[in-house]
Amino acid sequence: MVHNRNKLIDLFVGNISNSIVHKILEKAIDTEEIGRRYDKEAITSREIARKYRGKINPIGTRLPEKDIEYIRNKIVNKVRAELGLRISKGYRNIDLDLIEGLVDDTLKNMKVI
Amino acid sequence: MEIIGKVSKGSRMDQIYIPRNRIGLDIGSYAVVRPLEVKRFDEKPYFYNIKFIEPLKLGIVGEIMGAINRMVEDYENIIVTGSFLDKGFNFNDIDVIVVSEKKLDKRKIIREIENKIKIEIHFIVLSSRALIKGLSIDPLYQMMLSKCVSKKRFVYRFKPKMSYKILDLHLLKSKLLIDNFDDLNGNEKYSLIRNVVAISLFLKYKKVNKERVDKEIIKIFNLKSISEIKENMLDKGLFLKKYRVEYRRVFNKLMKGIRNGT
Repeated sequence: MVHNRNKLIDLFVGNISNSIVHKILEKAIDTEEIGRRYDKEAITSREIARKYRGKINPIGTRLPEKDIEYIRNKIVNKVRAELGLRISKGYRNIDLDLIEGLVDDTLKNMKVI
Repeated sequence: MEIIGKVSKGSRMDQIYIPRNRIGLDIGSYAVVRPLEVKRFDEKPYFYNIKFIEPLKLGIVGEIMGAINRMVEDYENIIVTGSFLDKGFNFNDIDVIVVSEKKLDKRKIIREIENKIKIEIHFIVLSSRALIKGLSIDPLYQMMLSKCVSKKRFVYRFKPKMSYKILDLHLLKSKLLIDNFDDLNGNEKYSLIRNVVAISLFLKYKKVNKERVDKEIIKIFNLKSISEIKENMLDKGLFLKKYRVEYRRVFNKLMKGIRNGT
């Protein structure tokens, strides 16, 4: 499926947000056995995000400042909303302070910043 | 007489050297060369919920189990599962689980099996503790063992245990179907849908197996058959409308469980 640049950025944001929510929830669960070793087919949000990043120009180097600001804010808000939904339903032990650091690390890793 | 020799590399042809001092096998006589099988695997495997399996596949299962049996000394069981056991030849790889407490050289085993059968292997090593824990908390493990061929008879006793936070984590993976519908292939979509429905059945303390999950998917999404998903023929608008409702319903149930302290 061919997408325009804005759509690709939104898809990238959605998948990165999902993977960060996943990471924070993993930390909220205090058990060692959370991995699913059988789950080979499960494509992860992170892999999909990487695929979309590979289609957003400039590839392999940081994005323009206005894109960075838009992407970062959107991811932080999405992750906060997803985790906030859980907290409002009684989920405890979620550390919202992890969000910003994880977003920056992931964006660096994906060569966005 | 029998002589065991090693095939060695030659410049134009490979050869097998045999001792000059021997009884029999005179110069000019003909000999049969065949691979040496250290231990032959000819035990009959056990079938779980398999009504039919193609003889060709049975041969492949035998090759896999034989190869593992030769390479791994200490194991509790060998299990072959996944879409390979469905009727026909519409599979990408073969799921092989070795139940063992030991650390195994997975790469070597995979290479050996793949060289032999020329089909990709998805090889997993699990301790029996991890397998039982997986069966009690994760519907996907139940699905995996609901239809399989195993080297040894097995009875895994487990009580379903609702770990709502872990199930929430598994459910989250299926959320990506909503945003990425256009970019996923049929098998990826099926795996994400199956995940939601398996969790939903598990939450009702129902047995989770492939037939039951497929039946439920067809019922919930009003499909003619599962191939509508696998062949990527879903009507996006219609499907996503129902999928969002189902996802939200399962999510709310999990949140209720978490709120009540599990």
